[in-house]
Amino acid sequence: MTRSGSPRIESHAVLAALGLVGALALRRPEVAILAAPFALLLVVGTRAARNPGVSVEVVFDEERTVEGADVHGTARVRAAEYADRVELLLDLPPGVESVDGGAARALRLEGGAEREIPLTIRATRWGVFDLGDVEVRARDPFRLVVWAERHRGRHRLKAYPSELSLHRVLGAVETQAFAGSEVARVKGEGIEYSDIRDFVPGDRVRAVNWRASARRQTLVVNERHPERNTDVVLLLDSFVDARKGGRSVLEDAVRGAAVIAARYLARRDRVGLVSFGGTLRWLQPGMGVAQRYRLIETMLETGVEPTYTWADVSRIPGRILPPKALVVGLTPLLDPRFVSALENLRARRFDVAVVEVDPVPLVESGTSGVEPLAHRLWVLHRETLRARLERQGIGIGRWSGGALEPALEEVRTYRRYARTARV
Amino acid sequence: MAAVPVARASGTLQSTGVRVATVAVVALIAALVLGWSFLVPGAIALAGGLYAAQLAIDDTALDVSAPVIAAGLVLTAELAHWSLEERDRVLGDPGDGLRHGAFVALLVIAALLVGAALLALVDAVRAESLTLDLLGAAAAAATLVGIALAAGVRGRSGQ
Repeated sequence: MTRSGSPRIESHAVLAALGLVGALALRRPEVAILAAPFALLLVVGTRAARNPGVSVEVVFDEERTVEGADVHGTARVRAAEYADRVELLLDLPPGVESVDGGAARALRLEGGAEREIPLTIRATRWGVFDLGDVEVRARDPFRLVVWAERHRGRHRLKAYPSELSLHRVLGAVETQAFAGSEVARVKGEGIEYSDIRDFVPGDRVRAVNWRASARRQTLVVNERHPERNTDVVLLLDSFVDARKGGRSVLEDAVRGAAVIAARYLARRDRVGLVSFGGTLRWLQPGMGVAQRYRLIETMLETGVEPTYTWADVSRIPGRILPPKALVVGLTPLLDPRFVSALENLRARRFDVAVVEVDPVPLVESGTSGVEPLAHRLWVLHRETLRARLERQGIGIGRWSGGALEPALEEVRTYRRYARTARV
Repeated sequence: MAAVPVARASGTLQSTGVRVATVAVVALIAALVLGWSFLVPGAIALAGGLYAAQLAIDDTALDVSAPVIAAGLVLTAELAHWSLEERDRVLGDPGDGLRHGAFVALLVIAALLVGAALLALVDAVRAESLTLDLLGAAAAAATLVGIALAAGVRGRSGQ
């Protein structure tokens, strides 16, 4: 541990020196009497101070959590010698806060004693956090000498995005070959009724619609829509982030992507991820619980890495975007490269929908000069951009970070009435 | 502590004393509010200096209130530094404050006793006309020891 003097030691030394020199100069013993306690404290305090040899070990119970959930842990503190006051300052990274009354604790330890201090922390946002760094300061009874040491922790906490309410996701225009929960538009073996047609040899008897056959005086059979799965690719815009206060569009986008992915995977759909930004990250479409964790782990690595190079969808490997896949973009529509990528995908006949993580509430219009006018122009420009994308057949739902349902409903409504839009 | 010499002084010294005492109080408040620990010895030195100036100007006989003033200055310094330490908002054990308060009280009593003992010693030695010589030698030695110790503690590291 590094030994250093506290501000007290300087204060006492200055007062003792001034008092004793003053006594000599003024030839007044009373001034020396004023200085004597400070000098005595200095001598006794520094002589009596012993390195307490404090060691700390911080352990947290969980390695994975959900943002906003409490994580419990323990700080195990040991001292070789008596320590009048041991201060533990838990160095928490941004995005993690202490729940139980601050990240700084003080305790007294006898020589050779060990104490366990319960800790409770909480991740205020999703991400990967390195925890366990503790700054330890020990003081002697006179509080003249401070021993300090920084203990490096090795605990990595992964905070997953919190679950948002979402009951229905977007249905894809085209489905895949595997069984799933999406009612296909093609006809085949399934549950959902589609139409009736004349019986042809080879049709099953159980498919015969006897009521309709009786009315027509000829055999007719029911046609049905099969339940198929879909391929969904979540396209996450990590070119740019806008944040204000505790809200960030990138954090919201990841949170939304995690919820959408979980809902699609629950329907036995295959879900892939492309984090499109300064660094391209992708995950091949897959299904099941393992894929859900793979997706979230990939999302946790997402961050804004500024780049000025032009990036388009040709950078995305072909196998990541399977034919007939539904591409759901989560973007604040701030970077033209991402908008261009959406248009490019649509031009390639992909079924594209956009959840626009609205950055407008995070931008203040300003009050002086042309600032309000510039803000209005920017908002109008965004409207134009939105209209342009919709003309190309890309449904856009605006999302401000609350429930996702209204944003997806906006897209669904657009797709219901404007599905015939062609590029 | 600054009030004692101000109350004892008269005329110009009193008005100057009031100004110096005000500066000392303001410096102490600034130290506590802004967290500037370097102002604490300044404020206490001003109060002590006022007392010393009053003694030197009035040229009184041996002042028996010196141990009380010394204990008061120790109390002020300890409380000021304790207050500055508490700015870190460290959550301590229950009763931690009381225990340290008792320790500070013990320090003040010790300062009072040391001051009284020194006063008695000075009174005894003064009767034999050796007072200032002995006190001067002790002051010089104590100053050197104190500064050497302080420099040693500040300079040492890695223990």
